[in-house]
Amino acid sequence: MTATEMTLVGPVRLELPPIGGMSRVARLAASGLASLAGFTLDEIDDIKIAVSEVMIALVEHGAASTLELEFRLSDSDFTVVGSTYIPDFDPDHPDLWLCRTVLESVCDGHRIAVDRGTATISASVSRVS
Amino acid sequence: MTGSLNDDSIIIEIGDDGVLRVHGDIDMASGPALESAIVGHRVRDADADAPSVETVEQTAAAGLDLDPPHVVVDLADVSFIDSSGLRGLLSAAQHVHRQGAALVLRQVGPEVSRLLEITSTAGQFVIESRRD
Repeated sequence: MTATEMTLVGPVRLELPPIGGMSRVARLAASGLASLAGFTLDEIDDIKIAVSEVMIALVEHGAASTLELEFRLSDSDFTVVGSTYIPDFDPDHPDLWLCRTVLESVCDGHRIAVDRGTATISASVSRVS
Repeated sequence: MTGSLNDDSIIIEIGDDGVLRVHGDIDMASGPALESAIVGHRVRDADADAPSVETVEQTAAAGLDLDPPHVVVDLADVSFIDSSGLRGLLSAAQHVHRQGAALVLRQVGPEVSRLLEITSTAGQFVIESRRD
């Protein structure tokens, strides 16, 4: 099977310790996957920022020993979904203002949800063409 | 599993000209190190014969009249920054401002320019030059 014949299946999941250095690991994984899926360099730049912003929110506010990242591919989108345990998570916390501002600008959609102490943040970057 | 983590995602060099040259990504891991480097860095004056001072605080304490005092950060080798890294730069800029000085960004690339534009924070810095 050649690279052009390869069908990407997903999702791709990472379980990471909640430390800042893991942001680079997550970006590398996401950019590699996005490149494999044929996203453009500009789109990959956006994906790297989206992944980093999701990591910031989860690492800086999370209270668990691990966090989970999931990369979902479709014909039109790359979506990163991150989740971790954050017992008193406030999506409107002032510290998240820059993070949310960047997500709103770079992503075609993003969502922050909290359910029984687990915060889930998703962000999608669409293909231009 | 445990293990030590050597995070070398950023290198900060201080040249003979006093300019802080940053190599690498400015993110959640490296932002605090960059902020500390800027805060602890000596203020530069356009006058090469200006009295030597070691830190922003010492400059202010000595009452030196530097025109304009500044800390220069060269971002020629920075191709990624996120909001956490930007927060570090903003915090450093506020510290430098409180000492009556300016934080000057040199060779600002498109990635940094874009984040400054998105967050409307470019005005917190003196942008000396940009690159493609």
